[in-house]
Amino acid sequence: MGPFDLIAAIPLLPLTAFLVILFAGHFTPSALPKCGAIPGILALSGSFIISLSLLPLVYSGNFFNNSIYLWATWSISDLHFGFLIDPLSALMLVVVSLIALLVFIHSLGYMNDQNEQGLFRYYAGLSLFSFSMLSFVISDNLLMSFIFFELVGFCSWVLIGFWFREDAPPKAATKAFLVTRFGDYFFLIGVVAVLVIFGTANFAGPNSFPVLAKSAILSGQTLNGLDPQTWVTIIGLLILGGVIGKSAQFPLHTWLPDAMEGPTPVSALIHAATMVAAGVYLVARIYGFYALSPTTLAIIALVGGFTALLAATMATVKHELKQVLAYSTISQYGYIMLALGAGGYVAGIFHLTTHAIFKALLFLGAGAVIIAMHHDGDMWNMGGLREKLPVTYWCFIFGSLALAGIFPFAGFWSKDEVLLETLNYGLGGSPILLIGYAFGLIAVFVTGFYTFRMIHLTFHGSPRSQAAREPHSLRWNIKLPLVVLGSLSLLAGAINMVPLGEILGIDLSYLHHWLDTAPSNLTAHHYHELTESFSGYHSAYFSSIISAILSLAVAVSGMAFAWKLYQSPNPTESGTVYSTRFNTIYRILMHNYYQDDYQLMIASLTRNKLATFANIFDQKYLDGLVNELSSKSLSLSNSIRRIQTGAVTNYALLLSIGLVLILFIFALLGGWL
Amino acid sequence: MLIELVILSAFFSGLFILFSSDENSHKFSFYLSLIPLLGTLIMWINFDGSGNALLNGGKIAFETYVPWLSLGSYSLSWHVGVDGISMPLILLTSILTPLAILSAWTPINERKSQFYGLVLIIEAALFGVFVAFDFFVWFVFWEAVLIPMYFLIAIWGGTRRKYAAIKFFIYTNVASLVMFIGFMALIFGLGDSISSFNLIDISTALHSGQLDGLGFLDASTLKYVAFIALFIGFGVKVPIVPLHTWLPDAHVEAPTPASVILAGVLLKMGTYALLRFNFTLLADVAQKWASIIAIIAAVSVIYGAFLALAQTDLKRIVAYSSISSMGYVLLGLVAYTVYGLGGATFQMISHGLLSGLLFMSVGLIYNATHTRSIEDLSGLADKMPLTSVIFIAGAFGYMGLPLMSGFAAELFIFIGAFGANFPFAKLITAISMFGIVIVAGYLLLTIQRVFFGTFEVKGNPDLALPQIHDLMPLVVILLMIIALGIAPNIFFEMIQDAVEPMVSLLGGISDV
Amino acid sequence: MVPISYYILLSAAIFSIGLFGVLTRRNALMFLISIELMLNAANLNFVAFSTLHGNLTGQVFSLFILALAAAEVAVGIGIILVLQRNFSGIDVTKAVTLRW
Repeated sequence: MGPFDLIAAIPLLPLTAFLVILFAGHFTPSALPKCGAIPGILALSGSFIISLSLLPLVYSGNFFNNSIYLWATWSISDLHFGFLIDPLSALMLVVVSLIALLVFIHSLGYMNDQNEQGLFRYYAGLSLFSFSMLSFVISDNLLMSFIFFELVGFCSWVLIGFWFREDAPPKAATKAFLVTRFGDYFFLIGVVAVLVIFGTANFAGPNSFPVLAKSAILSGQTLNGLDPQTWVTIIGLLILGGVIGKSAQFPLHTWLPDAMEGPTPVSALIHAATMVAAGVYLVARIYGFYALSPTTLAIIALVGGFTALLAATMATVKHELKQVLAYSTISQYGYIMLALGAGGYVAGIFHLTTHAIFKALLFLGAGAVIIAMHHDGDMWNMGGLREKLPVTYWCFIFGSLALAGIFPFAGFWSKDEVLLETLNYGLGGSPILLIGYAFGLIAVFVTGFYTFRMIHLTFHGSPRSQAAREPHSLRWNIKLPLVVLGSLSLLAGAINMVPLGEILGIDLSYLHHWLDTAPSNLTAHHYHELTESFSGYHSAYFSSIISAILSLAVAVSGMAFAWKLYQSPNPTESGTVYSTRFNTIYRILMHNYYQDDYQLMIASLTRNKLATFANIFDQKYLDGLVNELSSKSLSLSNSIRRIQTGAVTNYALLLSIGLVLILFIFALLGGWL
Repeated sequence: MLIELVILSAFFSGLFILFSSDENSHKFSFYLSLIPLLGTLIMWINFDGSGNALLNGGKIAFETYVPWLSLGSYSLSWHVGVDGISMPLILLTSILTPLAILSAWTPINERKSQFYGLVLIIEAALFGVFVAFDFFVWFVFWEAVLIPMYFLIAIWGGTRRKYAAIKFFIYTNVASLVMFIGFMALIFGLGDSISSFNLIDISTALHSGQLDGLGFLDASTLKYVAFIALFIGFGVKVPIVPLHTWLPDAHVEAPTPASVILAGVLLKMGTYALLRFNFTLLADVAQKWASIIAIIAAVSVIYGAFLALAQTDLKRIVAYSSISSMGYVLLGLVAYTVYGLGGATFQMISHGLLSGLLFMSVGLIYNATHTRSIEDLSGLADKMPLTSVIFIAGAFGYMGLPLMSGFAAELFIFIGAFGANFPFAKLITAISMFGIVIVAGYLLLTIQRVFFGTFEVKGNPDLALPQIHDLMPLVVILLMIIALGIAPNIFFEMIQDAVEPMVSLLGGISDV
Repeated sequence: MVPISYYILLSAAIFSIGLFGVLTRRNALMFLISIELMLNAANLNFVAFSTLHGNLTGQVFSLFILALAAAEVAVGIGIILVLQRNFSGIDVTKAVTLRW
C-alpha cells in the first residue's frame, strides 16, 4: 500500500475530525479533549505526513489522476469526483496541511487559553475548512473545484462569524460570502459553459478541457456557433470572476479587510494562506487553458498589478495591525496574479508558496501581539513590544523582511522572479505587461514602507498604552508555529534562487524543475510553449541580477522612508507624514478609495429601492389587479342581483319579456318577418 | 395493486382520523401515515419502470388498467402507474406527510382530529395526481387536493385566513377551469382518433399528427390555444410570475404543516402537470416558444428573488423564494435536454425538501417567539442553538451550497439550459443564474438579523428546548437533503431514464 | 265550419287578457283567475287543433289541464290563505321577503 492509496485520507481525516468534534461537542462536550483541538491536530498531522510522503513519489514521475466517485451520470463524460496529484497539487497539499496544522496549534493558545465559549464550533469549522481546502487542491476537474471552492467560502462564513453575539463579525461574514458569491456566479457560468462546450471538466489527461480547447483552436472548427478562441476568452474571464472574488482582487477585494473580524488564527489560515490562495491556485491549475487567450492573460496581469499597487497604498494608513496585513495580502495576491498573467507560471507558484508561509507567519505573529495586548489590535496603542516579546519580534521581523522582499528572505526570491518574468515578457513583445510591471515595482516601494511602518509602530518606540507596558505572556503553543514559519520564511526561497544561480553560473531553479516533472500537458515547459504560440509571449531574457538589484533597491528605499518618518519614540501620523497638504489623500486612503462605500451603496440601493419597488409593484399592481378583479365582480353582481325583487309580478313580467324576445328571435331566424 | 393500497390507506386513515376523537389523534395519524410511506418505499425498491410513461411504449411500473364506464364515444378508465418522473414525487409526498404531521403536534391545538384527517386526505389525493394516467381520474384528484387545503388554511390559519383561503381556492379553481377547457378542446380536436381519456392514447394520437381543427380553429392554432390554456392553468399552481399572488398570502396565513405540504408538494403538482401535459403532449409547441417560456422563467427567478429581498416576514421570504426556485424548474423544462428536464424534476424533489425544512424551522421559531417578523427578532442563535443551526443549514441548502440537493438540482438545470438549442439559451440561462446571488443576499441578511447579534425578542418568548417530535422532522429532512446532494444518483438515474424519450422525441438525444 | 284562425285569435285574446291580468293585478285572487284564463286559452287551442286534425290526443290533454287547473286552484287558494295570514293582506307585491 503506497501513499497513493492514502490520498483519500488527506481530506477525509479532517472530515472525520469535523464529524467527531461536531457530535462529541454537542452531545458530550466534556469528553472532547481541548474542545476539539486535539482531534483536529491529529487529523492534520496525518494529512501533512501523507502529503509529505507524496513528494518523492511525484518527483520520481508518478502521478495520480483518477475518478473515484461518480456524482451524477452524464451522456458524454460523467460528473465525478476524482484526485489529481501532480507537482502543483502535491506542493500545495504540503503547504496547506502544514499551515493548517500550525494554525490548530496556535489556536490552542489563541482560543483555548483565552477561555472562549463554544470552541467546538470553532474547531469543527476549522476541520471542515481543512477538508474542503484539501479537497479543492486535489480536485481533478473544474466542477469538483467549484464545489469545494463554495464550501471553503461557507467555512469562511462560519469562522468569520464565530463571535456571532457581537454585531460586526456577522456583518463581515455576510459581506465576505456575498462578495465572493458574486464572483462565484461568474465562475459557475464558466463551469457550466466548460461542461457544455467541451463536454468535460477534467484538468489533466488527453480528454481534459484545456487540451480540447487547444485542439479546437488549432483545427479552427466552430464550437456552439462561436470561434473556439472566443469561447476560451469568455470562459476564461467567467472563471476569472470566481478567482477575483476569492483571491480578493480589485474590484471584489472589499470583503477581505472586513473578514479580519474573525479570530486571528482563522485570518492566518483562511484569509491569508489558503482560501484566498484558492483563486490563484485555480488559475495555475488550468493554466493550460488561460495560456490560450492573450486577452485573458493581459486582464489577469493588469488586474493583478493594479490590485498590488492599490491595496498596498491602502495599507499605509491603517491603524489596526490586522488591517495592514489584510491589505498586504490583497496586494501580494495581486503579484501572483501579475505573474500568472504575464506568463510567469513558475514565478506565480513560487510566490504563492512563499507568501503562504510568511503571511501565515505575520498573521500568527499579529495574533501573538494581540493576545499580548489583551485583545487590542490598534497599532497606535502598541510600541516598544520588542523587549517584551523577543521571539515574536524576531519571527515577525523575518516575516516582514520576506514580505518587503529583502535579501535573503523567501519573499525576495519569489517577488523578484515575479517582476523579472513580467519584465521579460513585457520587453519581449507584450508591452501591456510593462504597465503591470510598473504597478508592481511601485508597489514594492509601498510594501517596504507599510511593512516598516507596521514594525515601528508595533515593536519600536515607547509603549503607548497600559497593555503595551504590561503585555500578556505567551505560551509555547503560540511560539512554536511562529518559530517554524519564521525559519521557513528565511529558507523557503532556496527552492528557486534564479539570480543567485545566474551569478554562480549554476541552475538553482529547483521549483521550475519540480513543476516540469508534471504529466505532459501540465508542465511549466508546456505552458511556456502555449503562451509563446497562442498568446505571443516571448522572453527578452533580461538579466535577473539587475532586476533583483533594482527591486531590492526600491524595497529598501521604501523601508528607509518609513524608518525616517516613524523612528521617533512617539510617532504621530498627522504631524509627520500627512500634513494638511496631504490630508485629502489620507482621507481617501483611509476610506479605501470609497470602494466599500460604493459597493454598500449598490447593495442598499438594490435592497431598498429595487426590491422595495418590486414589492410595491407586486402588492399594488399585480396583487392589486387580482383584488380589483374580485371586488369589481362583487360590485357587479351586487348591482345585477337588484332585479331579483321578490315580487312575483316582476318575475312574470321578465318571463313574458323573455318569451317575447325568444319568439322574436325565432321569427327573425325563421324568416317570418 | 400497491398504488391502490397506498392511496386507499391514506384516504381511509384520513376518514378514520377525521371522525375519531381529538385525543391522541396526532399520534394515530402519524402512525397511520407510515403505512403509505411503507408502501411507497416498497414501490421504490421494486420499481421496474423504464422510459417515459407517455412516450413510445415506456414501461409503467405497478400499472393497473380497469375500464370503468363508457360515455358516448369516450370511455373512462382507472389507469394508474408510476414511471421515473412520478416515483420520486410520490416518495416526496409520502415522506413529507408524516413529517408535516409531526411538525403539527405543537402548533395545532384545536379540532385536532379534523386537521390530521384532512392532511391524510390531501396525501391520498396527491398520490392520485402523481399516478393517474387517465385524464378524468387525474382531474378528479387534481381538484380533490384543493378542498382539504382550503379548510386547512381557512380553519387553522392566521388572522387573514379567510381572505387567503378564498383567494387560494378561487385562483386555483379558475385556473383549473381554463386548463380543463384547453384540454377538452384538444380532446375534441382529436375527434375519432381517440376513444378514451387515457393520456397514453392521447399522447400517441397527438404525436402521430392526428389533431384536427375545432370550430374555426385549425389544428396548429388549436394546439397553440390549448398550450396557452394549459400553461396558464398549471402556471397558477407552480406559480409562475405574474400568476403568483395567491402564494404569499396562502403561505403566510396557513399553519406550518399546511405550508410544508403546500410548498413541498402542492406546487410540484403544477410543474409535474406542466411536464406531463405542456412539455410532453405538446412538446412541439413548447419547443417552438422555448425562448419566450425561458424568459418567463428568468423573470420568475429574478423577480421572485427581488420580492423575497424586500420582505420582513420570515414566511413571506420563504414563500417568495419558492417562486424563484420554481422558476428554475420551468427553465429546466423548457431546455429539452436530459439535464434540463432531469434537473427540473430533481429540483422539484429538492425544493420540496428544502422549503419544507425552512417552513418547519420558521414554525419552530414562531412557536417559541410568537412572531415571524425579522425586525422583532435578534440573536436567536444564542438561546435557540439547534433551531438556528437547522435553519442556517436549510438556508445554505437553499442558496445552493454544494453537496446539498439544491446545488445538484440547480447545476443540472443550468447545464441543461445552457446547452439547450433555443435562441438566446445561453444568455437567458446566465441571467437566471444571477438568482443564486440574490438568494444568498436575502437569506444571509435574514440569518444575520435573526440569529446573530445580541439576543432580543419582543414579548415573552418560550425558550424551552424544542421537543424531540419538533426536531425530528427537521433532522430527517436535512439528512435527506445532504444525502441527495452527495449522491444525486439516488433519484437522478431513474429521472434521467424517464426524460430521455422526451428529448429524443424532438430530434435525437442532445449532448447534455 | 268555423276556420281555425278564429279559434286561434280567440285563444290569443284570452291568453293576452290573462297575461295582462297577471302583470297588472295586485290582488292574489285576481292573479289566480288570470292564470285560469291563460290555462283555458291553451285548452281552447288544444281542442281546436284536435278537431282540425281529427286527432283526439289534444282533447285528452285539455282534460288533463282541467284536472290540473282544479288542483292548482286548491294549491293557489292555500297559498293565498297563507299570504293573508303572514302579510295581513293578499297583495302579491307586498310579499317580497325572498328578494336579493
